[in-house]
Amino acid sequence: MKRTNALVAGLSAATLALTLAACGGGGDDDSGGDTEFNQGGTSAGGKNPTAVGPAPELEGAQEGGELTVLAPDPDDGPTSLDPAALWSVTDNGIAQDLLFRSLTTFRQAEDGSYELVPDLATDLGTPNEDFTEWRFTLKDGIKWETGDPVTAEEVAFGIKRSLDGDTFATGPGTAYSKPYLEGGDEYSGPYADGENFPAVTTEGNDIILKFGTPFAEMDYYSIFPAIGPVPLDASQTDYGLDPLSTGPYKIEKFVPNQELVLVPNDQWDPATDPARRQLIDKYTFKFDVNPQVAGETVLSDAGNTTVVTALQATDYNKARDEGLEDQILVGPQPCTGFVMPNYEKVKELEVRQALAYAYDYESIWLAADEVVGVTLANGVTDDSLGFGLLPPGMAGRQVWNGPDGEGISFDPEKSKELLAEAGYDPGEYEVSFVYDSTTETAEAAAEQRKLSYEDAGFKVQSYPYGGGSLYDVWTNPDHKLYKKINLLGTAWCQDWPSAATFLPPIVETGSAYNTGNFSEPAIDDEMDRIRSLPVDEQAEAWGELEQTVMTDYQPVINTGYYQNIFGFGTDIGGFANDISVGGAPDYRSIYIK
Amino acid sequence: MFAFLVKRILSGFLTIMLVSMIVYALFWYGPKSPALQLCVQETNGRCGPTSPRLADYEERLGYNNPVYEEYGKWVKGLVIDRTIMLGKTPYECPAPCLGLSFRDKTLVSEQLKDKFPVTVSLAVGAASLYLLIGVTVGALAARRRGTLADKLLVSSTLVFSSIPYYLVALLSFLLLTLNTSIFPDVAYTPLLDNPAKWASGLLLVWLVMGIFGATSYTRYSRGAMVESLSEDYVRTAKAKGLSARTVVVKHALRSALVPVVTIFGLDFAFLLSGTVFTEQIFDLEGIGKWGLDATYIQDLPVVQATSLVLAVAVVVANIVVDIIYSFLDPRVRLS
Amino acid sequence: MTLPAGDLEVHGETVARPPEAERKAIAGRSPTRIALDRLRKDPIAVVCFLIVVLFAAIAVFGGLIQDLLGVSTETVRATDVIHPVTRLPLEGPPTGTFDPDHPFGVAPGNGTDNLAVWIEGCRTSLYLATVAAVLSTIIGVTLGLIAGFMGGIVDSIISFATDLFLTFPFLVMALAISPILNDRFGDDTDKLRFASFYSLVAILVVFGWMGVARLVRGEVLSLREREFVKAARVIGVPTHRILIREMLPNLIAPIVISFSLGLPAFVAAEAGLSFLGIGVFGRESWGQTINAATTWWEDYPLYLLEPVLGIAILVVALNLLGDALRDAFDPKTRR
Repeated sequence: MKRTNALVAGLSAATLALTLAACGGGGDDDSGGDTEFNQGGTSAGGKNPTAVGPAPELEGAQEGGELTVLAPDPDDGPTSLDPAALWSVTDNGIAQDLLFRSLTTFRQAEDGSYELVPDLATDLGTPNEDFTEWRFTLKDGIKWETGDPVTAEEVAFGIKRSLDGDTFATGPGTAYSKPYLEGGDEYSGPYADGENFPAVTTEGNDIILKFGTPFAEMDYYSIFPAIGPVPLDASQTDYGLDPLSTGPYKIEKFVPNQELVLVPNDQWDPATDPARRQLIDKYTFKFDVNPQVAGETVLSDAGNTTVVTALQATDYNKARDEGLEDQILVGPQPCTGFVMPNYEKVKELEVRQALAYAYDYESIWLAADEVVGVTLANGVTDDSLGFGLLPPGMAGRQVWNGPDGEGISFDPEKSKELLAEAGYDPGEYEVSFVYDSTTETAEAAAEQRKLSYEDAGFKVQSYPYGGGSLYDVWTNPDHKLYKKINLLGTAWCQDWPSAATFLPPIVETGSAYNTGNFSEPAIDDEMDRIRSLPVDEQAEAWGELEQTVMTDYQPVINTGYYQNIFGFGTDIGGFANDISVGGAPDYRSIYIK
Repeated sequence: MFAFLVKRILSGFLTIMLVSMIVYALFWYGPKSPALQLCVQETNGRCGPTSPRLADYEERLGYNNPVYEEYGKWVKGLVIDRTIMLGKTPYECPAPCLGLSFRDKTLVSEQLKDKFPVTVSLAVGAASLYLLIGVTVGALAARRRGTLADKLLVSSTLVFSSIPYYLVALLSFLLLTLNTSIFPDVAYTPLLDNPAKWASGLLLVWLVMGIFGATSYTRYSRGAMVESLSEDYVRTAKAKGLSARTVVVKHALRSALVPVVTIFGLDFAFLLSGTVFTEQIFDLEGIGKWGLDATYIQDLPVVQATSLVLAVAVVVANIVVDIIYSFLDPRVRLS
Repeated sequence: MTLPAGDLEVHGETVARPPEAERKAIAGRSPTRIALDRLRKDPIAVVCFLIVVLFAAIAVFGGLIQDLLGVSTETVRATDVIHPVTRLPLEGPPTGTFDPDHPFGVAPGNGTDNLAVWIEGCRTSLYLATVAAVLSTIIGVTLGLIAGFMGGIVDSIISFATDLFLTFPFLVMALAISPILNDRFGDDTDKLRFASFYSLVAILVVFGWMGVARLVRGEVLSLREREFVKAARVIGVPTHRILIREMLPNLIAPIVISFSLGLPAFVAAEAGLSFLGIGVFGRESWGQTINAATTWWEDYPLYLLEPVLGIAILVVALNLLGDALRDAFDPKTRR
């Protein structure tokens, strides 16, 4: 899943590529994190098919009060609230937690981890043996905000709309509904091609889905609002401006990319909903807010009932200086940033390993306006994080600590040794990369990166790119810059906590975000084998595979795991990081003290 | 008079047409495909300049048609309802249709309705303030010409108005909104929703724009007053025994206002077309910020709309200024 | 963004032909000579002149000064000088005391020396403003001369073009043009450095010549009817000779004034455009530093104030000097 609308455009270039991420946070970082900040949960746990409503009692929770949520620029929030179009962290956080119910959903279990539970469906769905057919049964007593009952036909209609790749090109349907559902690539949704689509049918209260490609993770995919009901008379293009709610809140006012006001929905029945609550009287979301104003508000008295979805590094410092740690939560995002050497150009394993020791992680993060060990982190700042592909918290993940298992840090001598092993003198091997020339911070980070490669025995050529996203270059072999560079990059976030949404996009031959063109038949075969394993063995197998890939090939250099800094006012309780949607505030557990 | 107006309106119309054509052409032939934004956004950035995906988006948006054909459709949409097809999805766009924003696929004309009141609120508030302060202070200074107060005023306005405006706005924002809570919530609330909040939310912005703008108006009107106070007809009026007040207000000020009105008309037009720096710094969603954001992402329909608003505002202001001119200064005859 | 256009227009009106009587009284000295004498006696002008000379010296000898002070814009390893969590410098302001190695402190985040960046920013500003002012003056004077002297259809066309350019949405055009020019050379650091600089110059010139052109045209219109020009025509002097030998010397005052008022406008414009994201690449610039420093305002105000003061002082000095020049050239003002 992408991080946010705006981040993809803006991150586009610099942030994503050059900086890093981090997670974990400042615990044993001797250089900085001497202050203990709250650390959000990182793990998304298992499945709980028998969970029933209402949601578990929340300790200390109180009802009432109004909450304001500020999403600072460049996060401009939803342009549309059409269930079929929602596929970004901010938007899905709001929609899944408060507005739209889907067949399944995640909820925070008592130990703080997130577990998959049934939502509109009575259970987590029943697949056939080879995962080519899934059957979900709709609960009784689910109502629209109008009081009308939600029917299985409406759920089927919603799923069919997700196949309308023209209208909802930003939606998750393009990545899952269309490739997996039988005939999905041929069918463009109910408006263009009619409602008759044999892969999505109903039978009484049952919804039956047929897949052309086996799809073992339909229960996870069903957390998206796209796999939920839409009224049969919904407009193709305008429904997203004024959609009907099935969740605990309904829309009072929606100005795309600016403001969203939600009020309680009295037709929502807590007894049918194992995950959501209705504690707050009114939610006001404001998007694309000036980051300085947002930070200032939440850390002052003016913002005692305000939440900020991403604080700036300077506000983090301020909170730290003024003893406001209680108002900050560092929330890991299930995302990893990478440098990807072009596998066809950088052939020697030793050189790729040397590149990992030649990257001055902390200096580059600093220049890119990241807080070392907080907004970006990896094994450099916290040993427990490692340098692998999969973000922390993913089932089956093992910590990977470099080729020798002793961790990685900026180590020019080690890099030169490895280069010598590969037969290169210092200054002989040329690496080249492209960076975003449109912002000062990206330029500064590129300068740091160049300096560190040079110190580590490489000859460096860097190319400015001001034409937009760096992905323009990285994903286009015909681009004139693509031909000149041998280091590319990517940053990837999970769609749900399964390595199947993470490893293949990065290391499978031909995958779009495998910008380094890593290709090893043995690894491809192993991924195919894992996909055919019983579901409960897959997680561990993916974890093993990650270790093998990194140790034997080092196709990527981990440049950090991403974390958000949330800020919240003094009167706010129950604040949690909802890792299940990719790192957003968990709006289901927030209350006003 | 009538012939003059017709001539001015025709040439104004020509200007507007040319501006919109050139802006359209610039983006059309620019280095980045106008379809890129939508493509990048909808495919998570997998949209290389030569990728088939981009070609597909260009086709959907009509960018493989000749430029005059697409521009023609755009112009036609201003008067006739049109249906815009993005791929297989039809979007209804009633006249005056300014197209569909590539960013969020909503009607540009609808967005314009949201953004324009913000900019108008800013422009009206700021303009009334600087006109009021500027002309009053300028006229008073002219009457006390040569005194210490006059000299201080002239030199301080000179220094103040020499500082680049955006620095003034930026520092006001940092000092008055961020650091202290003198003006804590700069925000736009529609006038009809809550007039008090409308005014209090924009007060700081009005003051910043108003005081900064007033400096140059003080200088203009002082200069013009000094000149007109030394005119023969003012001397005549004084000689007739009219009161000083009548002389200053009815005779001198009236002709002194002529150059001030000229400048004011054009200034106001520029204000209407978007107070870019102000909106950017204070984070107000007006025409200026809208247009600016749209150029960053090559959102051609929005860029077209904002340029059109600007061109129309400037041209209309020019014509109006000429007309007012003829009323204020009896010596001017439109011909 | 206001370019000097509006200003110049007004100033133009005051640069009127001296009355006959006064010209006789000062016979024997050239107007330029008189103006310089007047300037020398104006304390404000002298102070401003010295400030401008100082900035110019910093710009010209920037490299030397940096060597002398032992500062440079070279990249340093960030972790050596920057605190990993606060991202503020380990030594010097804002947390420590004055650091003689870095008199202006170092930048937060990447640790580059502020003084070196400041000096380079001064170079960029002045260099860019000078090139832009020279070019726009040349273009404006040429077009103004031609329009005023030829009259008729040529005049109409040039005047229409002047109005048209005044109507263009300057910022929108600037934002549209700059990527076009940059993209041609986007992949080569040196070429991009060159291209981004001259594309900015081009933008400033394209939208900066109209004021000069109008001013010169007006002057020429009145000069054309003067005896010495008529005489030259009667005796068959070729047109280009009349323009260059007879007209141009009489236009020195307006040209000098518009040039000197153009400089500060371009300095301010460069900073303003950088703030909006159209900046020079591969050079330091005050506008870009301001842009980066606003987020640091609360933790490290000095970082923002250095470039802000640089721009404010330079622009104010240039403006006041330009104003003094205008007064000095204007026979109507008495000192």
